[in-house]
Amino acid sequence: MSALRDYAAATNQPPLQGGPRAFDEVVAPDGTLRRPWRALAAGPLDLADVDLRRVAHQIGRHLEDDGVTYRRPGGTSDRWHLDPLPLVVTAQEWATLSGGLAQRAELLDAVADDLYGPRRLLREGVLPPELVLAHRGFRREVSRPRRAGRSLHVVACDLTRTASGQWQVVADRTQAPSGLGYALENRRVTSRAITPTPLDAPVHRLAPFVPVLRDALAGAAPRTASDPRIVLLTPGPESETAYDQAHLATVLGIPLVRGDDLVVRGGAVWMRVRGRLERVDVVLRRVDAAWSDPLELRGDSRLGVPGLVEADRRGSVRVVNGFGTGVLENPGLLPFMDHVCEVLLDEPLRLPCVPVHWLGDPATLARLRTDLLDLEVRAIDGGGVLDADAPDALLAAVEAAPHRYVAGEPIVWSRAPRLDAGTLTACEVSLRAFTVAHGSGYRPLAGGLGSVLQDGRSIASKDVWVLKESASEPDQGLEEPARPSVASGAAPIAVPRVLQDLYWFGRYAERAEHGVRSLLALPAVGDGLDLDRIGPGDPAAEALLGVLGASGAPGERDARWLQSILLDERRPSSVAQSLVALRAVAASVRDQLSIDVWRAFAVTDRAVASAGTDLAVTAEQVLVGLLALRGTTESMVHDDGWHALEVGRALERALQVGALLSRTVTTMRPLSVEERVHEAVLGATESVVTHRRRHRGRVRLVGLLELLLTDPDNPRSLAAALERLGHALARLPMSTSSSRPERLLEDLVAQVRDVDLSALARVSGQRRRGLEDHLEDVEGQLTRLADAFAELHLVSGPSPRSLTLARRVSS
Amino acid sequence: MRWHVRHRTRYTYDDVVTDSYGHAVLLPRDVPGQRVLSAQVDVDPVAVDRSEDIDHFGNRVTYLQVDVPHTRLTVEADLDVEVEPASIDPEALGAPWEAARPRALDGVPAWEVVELALESPSIGHGGAVLDYARPSFPPGRALGEAARDLMHRVHDDFAYEPGTTSVTSTIDDVLAARAGVCQDFAQLMIACLRSQGLAARYVSGYLATDPPPGRERVVGADATHAWVAVWTPAGEWLALDPTNDQPVGERYVTIAWGREYADVSPLKGVIVSEASSSELEVQVDVLPA
Repeated sequence: MSALRDYAAATNQPPLQGGPRAFDEVVAPDGTLRRPWRALAAGPLDLADVDLRRVAHQIGRHLEDDGVTYRRPGGTSDRWHLDPLPLVVTAQEWATLSGGLAQRAELLDAVADDLYGPRRLLREGVLPPELVLAHRGFRREVSRPRRAGRSLHVVACDLTRTASGQWQVVADRTQAPSGLGYALENRRVTSRAITPTPLDAPVHRLAPFVPVLRDALAGAAPRTASDPRIVLLTPGPESETAYDQAHLATVLGIPLVRGDDLVVRGGAVWMRVRGRLERVDVVLRRVDAAWSDPLELRGDSRLGVPGLVEADRRGSVRVVNGFGTGVLENPGLLPFMDHVCEVLLDEPLRLPCVPVHWLGDPATLARLRTDLLDLEVRAIDGGGVLDADAPDALLAAVEAAPHRYVAGEPIVWSRAPRLDAGTLTACEVSLRAFTVAHGSGYRPLAGGLGSVLQDGRSIASKDVWVLKESASEPDQGLEEPARPSVASGAAPIAVPRVLQDLYWFGRYAERAEHGVRSLLALPAVGDGLDLDRIGPGDPAAEALLGVLGASGAPGERDARWLQSILLDERRPSSVAQSLVALRAVAASVRDQLSIDVWRAFAVTDRAVASAGTDLAVTAEQVLVGLLALRGTTESMVHDDGWHALEVGRALERALQVGALLSRTVTTMRPLSVEERVHEAVLGATESVVTHRRRHRGRVRLVGLLELLLTDPDNPRSLAAALERLGHALARLPMSTSSSRPERLLEDLVAQVRDVDLSALARVSGQRRRGLEDHLEDVEGQLTRLADAFAELHLVSGPSPRSLTLARRVSS
Repeated sequence: MRWHVRHRTRYTYDDVVTDSYGHAVLLPRDVPGQRVLSAQVDVDPVAVDRSEDIDHFGNRVTYLQVDVPHTRLTVEADLDVEVEPASIDPEALGAPWEAARPRALDGVPAWEVVELALESPSIGHGGAVLDYARPSFPPGRALGEAARDLMHRVHDDFAYEPGTTSVTSTIDDVLAARAGVCQDFAQLMIACLRSQGLAARYVSGYLATDPPPGRERVVGADATHAWVAVWTPAGEWLALDPTNDQPVGERYVTIAWGREYADVSPLKGVIVSEASSSELEVQVDVLPA
């Protein structure tokens, strides 16, 4: 018995409380599986429990590898959930639905055009003015006689099905719709985890739609630029849908920028690239309208670009979607859409909306007043269903301003199976469809983002499979194969903020790796966590612990303490802390990095999550992840960003070698101890083998110093790190071969090259003062070099901030 | 009367400002009873980019950007305006106030003023406002009479005290403090009118003042001002000044109107700078021309 048939048997029971019967996406009313699912149940993927669980496990692993996250409003970053069973739309159903979606986008665009233009809908009484003018999405900043053109380019529409299978619009998402990135990622994951497609009809691939979207954006460009520059404006990695935005930017091959990366000059938008300004033609906006321009919109916003609204109004840039499109998300518009469609498009509305009543109409309010508490009441501005458990507050709010509220029966969502704790259970689902501008009309994506709902909120996603009529039907119904698109080949553009993040990426990655190696070089760790051996009596261990910033008092030194050096994010200089910082900068430049970076993080995450008593095993697994990370970045395109990353890595390595030596070998110790200290230092610098080969195990400090300071052939030496730094530095756009960072480096290289190692090794008292001074000097110069580098290459100036230039003064 | 208005705003910063973006509502508009003879806005340092536009309410707005490093920014408006006593249809003022509620009118093309009868971001009209407004609006009272009565009461009940409120004060703050400045009185009166379903707008401009008897006129002693206009079913606007308890006449120069202060703030801006403090100096002169 397959899991699906079990589900069908369970689903066919009449609803327990006699509630309204919902449409089941998989099971027909007669209890049999719907047609496309019959093949699924009988096909290669028999959907026995074990198969499903295997697929679910793979999906989870892929999502983890790809680092897919979602952040709840106000919450922390959470893993993205994808249920293995897709929502399936047959070719026949899609034919109807796609026509409705295209019409809806056209209609919404026409509504926006009218509301910010001739206002025929208000003048002729088709829409009540207070419904529109009291909505916070109505932006007076763009409601001016002088206007830009089409404002709606990407539309999302949340759908459900009635018990009879009729699609219904629940909500329109217009002002900065999210989810396309997730939808594309979901498909990437399911196509890897579920192969071959177990349905009897082929599924529309999503990839061919990407050029359509890119063309829609390029087509929005105001100038007749042959190669319009498109950017995605993001609020940053703290955004709820940061992954969605970064993934979309990556797929489209457009830079992911923040407000600070853009500047308005001469009424046009420019991007800071390589020390100069490049014109931007289209801004795909994921910052909410209110936060997009501190000059004319919210003055306290640090996410926007001052002057952006003016540039858009002048038509020198096109912001997609337009600032005013939030007005279309008003649920109070839904009951008027039939009439609006007749008025503006002169045709009947194809896709009905869920029944909703606008309470601003006195007759409607009078009719519903006594039933309000049994209905779902929500504000037109959003914010969810009002709490019916506080009836007085609800009724008072509605009576005070009825035009601000709508009421409707609770939505009966369609149902579908969801894999939960190994079995298929029925859950409520919704489908978000996407439609983009295409020529003079709109084109829907044959696919979408499915959601598993609990109390109306999404708790997991589902892939959406739109089936083809036949195998010969082209993907997405696009007869022409996708042509190479305008911006696809362009290398990601590195604005100073991106260079800065990649530079720190390099530094943290190197720091984490160095930390793990130092930890593994601790004799106590290497020999199976022999805590006795890192008692205060062992200067070699002490020296390395100093490098790790772990100076626990003898009494505190237990296994937990030792683990904290690796795993405690709050402990300064711990490996975990470097990893957290590393991941944060990686998230902020996600579009610049290969997907493999997230696979490497998945390795370190799993190592940390499964950390047991054997610290060495955990540390080694973390090291494997970090080495994978290194491999990933080594194979990046060698562009500006990569060179900034290289500078970060080389600089950090130089600093770490110096710090290691000054903590370990500047003090002279008895020969037997010295030997162990040297071993530990060589272990931490991955140089044991080389040293042994050259010096046959003899402990000579000069040999060690040569290997770690001046040997250009040892990649772990200071000299090699500086050479690498020089190569990367020279390739950056602001370098002139005589810039300050280059001059500082040149001096330092000469100094390191010319140093007299035997002099450094000389001892006076117990200390090697020459070595101490040299290392201190090198550290100081590296720090100055880092500062000079940051100032020249990474800084883009102070952030704009709002000033109310004139406060009121009154007579 | 002809008036010459000079309105100078000067910002002084403690560090160099590299870029400065501004949005100014300083140019007057033609309105019934007011003719603009000349008007200009000068910016020092010179704005590299500026453009004029008409906003949602029909006001003249100016966008400007200064991109030369500066530590002082001056924006000066110079206006010549001719003002006559506005005449307003007495019949509409004599009709019951209930007839002037735009949302209650069927078939009358009043949709354009509906937004001025609704709450706006900083002018709500909850319980306290409603209670305060009610005594001025007994059923059937003439619109003009009701509005003037409200103006008298706001003038009598509230003390003119700069410093008791700030730009972010709410209507309820003003009601509780029983004090404020012209902006507060105007917004409170607007809230009261809207709480009764009437359409009211916030008007910004200038009021010509006379020096105290026997004293010389002090340069820059005048100020920006704000008052209220209430809509009549004749499509006209009755302008009243609750701060001075008088109807708006030929000593008033109108610049712009909107739902509330934020729609017409004379100058707002964004600077790009490390500056930590700034000093603001505003000088206004309204002189007979």
